[in-house]
Amino acid sequence: MKKYSKIVSLCSVMAAVAVATVSCDKSITEPLRVGYTPASVDEKAASWKTYVLTAPTDVTVAAPTLTTSSEYQAELADLKSQSSSLTTEQQQAVVYWGAGAVYRWNEIARELAARYNIPPASNAEGKYPVPDMNNPLADPKFPFANPPYTARALAYLSVAQYDALVAAWNYKYKYKRVAPGKVDASVKVALPASALPSYPSEDAVVAAASYVVLKAMFPGEVPFLDAKLAEHQNSRLWAGMNVKSDLAAGADLGNQVAAKVMGRARSDGMGMANNQGATAAMIESVKSRGLSDVWLSQESPKRPPMLPTYGSVITWNFDEATKIKLRPAAPPALNSTEFTKDLEELRSIQKDQTREQARIANYWADGAGSYTPPGHWSRMAANAANDAKYSEVRMARTLALVNTALMDAGICCWDTKYYYYYPRPQQFGVKTSVGLPNFPSYTSGHSTFSAAAATVLGSVFPERADEFWAQAQDASNSRIYGLIHYRFDCVVGLQCGKNIGSYAVARGKADGSGL
Amino acid sequence: MKTPLKILTGGLLLMSLSAKAQMPNDAIYMAKGSVCIAGMYGRSTWNEYWEGPLKRHNENIGTLTTQNVMVMPAIGISRRVNLLLSLPYVWTEASAGNLMGQKGIQDLSAWVKIKTVQAGGFSLHTILGGSLPASNYVPDFLPMSIGLRARTATGRLLASYKHPKTGIYLTAYGTYNWRSTIKVDRDAYVANNRLYNTNEVSVPNTYDASVKLGILRRKWQTEIFAERMGGLTGDDIRRNDMPFPTNNMEATSVGWYGKVQPRHIGVNARIGYVLDGRNVGQSTSYTVGLLYQIDFKK
Repeated sequence: MKKYSKIVSLCSVMAAVAVATVSCDKSITEPLRVGYTPASVDEKAASWKTYVLTAPTDVTVAAPTLTTSSEYQAELADLKSQSSSLTTEQQQAVVYWGAGAVYRWNEIARELAARYNIPPASNAEGKYPVPDMNNPLADPKFPFANPPYTARALAYLSVAQYDALVAAWNYKYKYKRVAPGKVDASVKVALPASALPSYPSEDAVVAAASYVVLKAMFPGEVPFLDAKLAEHQNSRLWAGMNVKSDLAAGADLGNQVAAKVMGRARSDGMGMANNQGATAAMIESVKSRGLSDVWLSQESPKRPPMLPTYGSVITWNFDEATKIKLRPAAPPALNSTEFTKDLEELRSIQKDQTREQARIANYWADGAGSYTPPGHWSRMAANAANDAKYSEVRMARTLALVNTALMDAGICCWDTKYYYYYPRPQQFGVKTSVGLPNFPSYTSGHSTFSAAAATVLGSVFPERADEFWAQAQDASNSRIYGLIHYRFDCVVGLQCGKNIGSYAVARGKADGSGL
Repeated sequence: MKTPLKILTGGLLLMSLSAKAQMPNDAIYMAKGSVCIAGMYGRSTWNEYWEGPLKRHNENIGTLTTQNVMVMPAIGISRRVNLLLSLPYVWTEASAGNLMGQKGIQDLSAWVKIKTVQAGGFSLHTILGGSLPASNYVPDFLPMSIGLRARTATGRLLASYKHPKTGIYLTAYGTYNWRSTIKVDRDAYVANNRLYNTNEVSVPNTYDASVKLGILRRKWQTEIFAERMGGLTGDDIRRNDMPFPTNNMEATSVGWYGKVQPRHIGVNARIGYVLDGRNVGQSTSYTVGLLYQIDFKK
C-alpha cells in the first residue's frame, strides 16, 4: 500500500508539472530594430571609392527648387497633411522602414533568398528541370537561390546601394536642401533626424536601387517588391522626413545607378555558370592528376552538380590571375593517412554525435530553404552596423565590403571545388545530420564564406574581430559535426577565405573613407 | 466484475506513436489500487508522403521507419479517476539517401481520466493531459526527428455505449491539443511564406477525433476504428522542401485493435493505416504490447 501511494503521488506531481509548465502564449518574438540618429552622417562620403560608377557625376540629379518656392511650399503642405495623423498600419510602416533603408532591403533580399533556396524536384523522366527565368513561378521556381546565387544577388544589391548612396551624398552636399522638419518646425517628424541634407532622399535612392536589382534577381516577386517599394516611399511621407521631390530625385538617382550596376551583372559570366558540358573535361583533368574516385552526386536520380562553372564568374576585389593564385594546393590522396584519419573522425562523430555538435551543425547549416551562409553573414554584418549606429552610406559600405567578399569567396571556392572534383564523405558510407549539398567536397564553402566575411567584419569592427573569427571557426567546424566535410576541407577553406577577405579589407582601407 | 475492467485498461492505452502518441482513448478504468503496466514496441513505416496536397515518393528517403519502445503505467486512483503515464524511446531510419537516423527519449506524457457520467451502458468521460519533452532532441530535422519538442496540453471528451450482454461497444471522442512554441538550433527559418528571424517556432494546435466499434469481453477485446487529426493552423511543406514543425499535419486513418489478457498477464496489438493526409507520411503502423497488472489493494 505504501508503494502504491508513492507511485500515485509521483504521477500526480508529473501530471501537475506537465499542465503547469504550459503557458498559453503562442506568439513569436523577433528581434526589434528601430531607427536612430547615426553616430556620424559621413558628410565626406561623396569622395568614397565606388565599385561600378567611376564618379558620382556618372549620374545626374537636377537642382531642387528652393524651399521658399511655391512648389516646395505646396509639397510641404501635402507632407503635413500626410504625416499629421497616421493609422496603426502607417505607424508600423514608419517604424519598420525607420530601422534603416539599407538594413531593411538586405533583410528583404535574405527573405527572398530563403524562399527561393530549394533545389528543383526531379520529374517523371528522372531529370531535373532547369529553372526558367522567363517563367519564374513555374515548377521549379526561378531562381534556385543556392549559396553562389545568393552571394551574387547580395553583392549586386549592396554595390548598387553603396554606389547610389555615394552619388546621393555628392548631390546632397552639392544642393544642401535641408529636411522638411527643419524648414518648417510644425512638420510632425516621426523618426530621429540628423543634419543630413534631404535632397535626394537616401531612402528613395536605396529603395529604387534595391528594387531594380532584386527584380532582376527574383523576377517572380515583382508584386511583392512593388508593394515594398511603395510602402518604403510612402513611409517617408508619413514620417514627415521627405517631401515628394526629395523622393522623386532619389528614385531617379537609384534607378540610374542600378541600371549601371546591372550592366556589370549581365556581363559577369553568371549566364555561363551552369555549363554542365564542362564537367567531363574537369573530371578528366583531375583524374590525370591522380584522383581515383571523383565526386559523384549522392542524390537519386543523380543531380547535375550545382553551377560547375561559377568559378569563372568575374570577382570584385581581385583579378583572374589572383583567383588562380588563391586556389589552394591539392587535397590529400584518398589512400593517404591524412585522408583516413579525417574520414575516421567523421565515422566516430556519426557514432556518438554530441548534442552540442548537433547544435553547432544546425545553427550554421543554412541549407535548403534558408538564406544560405552568405545570407547568414550578411545578416551579421547588417546587425553589427545597425548596432554601431552607422549612417546609411556607411552601412552600405560595410555590406558591400562583406557581400563582395562573400561572392569572391563563392567564386574561388567553386573554382577549387571543380578543379579538384573531390568525393564527399558520403561516398565512403558516412551519413549526415544536416543534408548534403550537391557539389564536390574540397574545399568547404561554409569555411571559405565564413572566413572571408569574418576577416572583413574584423577589419570594420576591430573590437569584435575575435568574436567574428570564433564564429567563422564554429561555422567551419559545423560541417565536420554535420558530417559532410573532412577536417582538411574546412581547415584549408578557412585559410582560403581569410586570404580572399583580405582583398576586400585592402579595398576598404584604400577607398577614401579613412575607415 | 472486478477483473475484466481492471485488466483491460493497460492495453487500451495503445496507440500509434507516430501521429499523436499514447493518449488514453477508451472508457475503461482500473479499479482503485490497481496498476497496469504496459511495455510496448511500435513500428511505423512509409514510402510515400504528402507534400502539401501533392502525394509523392522521395528516392532520397526511400522508406522511413520510426520505431519506439515505451513504458505506460495506468493507475487506478479511484473507480472513476485513473492516472496514465507514458515515456517512449524513439528511433528513426531512412532506407535510402544519406540522412542520419535520430534516436532518443521523446516526451513524458500524463493524463487524468475522469468518468463524469454513467447511465446504464452510456458513459461520458473527461480526459485532461499534458506532455513535456524528456530530452533535448532536435525537432526540426524532419522527417528524421523523433518529435516536435512542443509542450502540450490536451482536453478530450469521450462518449461510449456498451451493450451489457454482448459487450459490443461504440465509442467516439474529440480532442483539442494545445501546443507550445519551440526553440530550434537555427535562428532563422521560412514558414507561412515569410522569413522569421528568430529561433522560436510556433507549432500549430491540433484536433483529433475518432469513432471505434468493438467487442469487449472478460478476457479479450477486438475493435475497428477510424481517426482524423489535423492542425488548426499551419503551412504546407514547400515544393521539394523538407517538412517543418509549422506544417499543418493532417491524417485520416483506419485500423484494428485487439487484446487478450486471461489473467494478470496479457498481450495486445494495434494496426493502423493512413488513408489520406497532408504534410504526413502515408504510414502503416503496428504496435505490440505486453501487459502486466498489479493489485496493491488486498
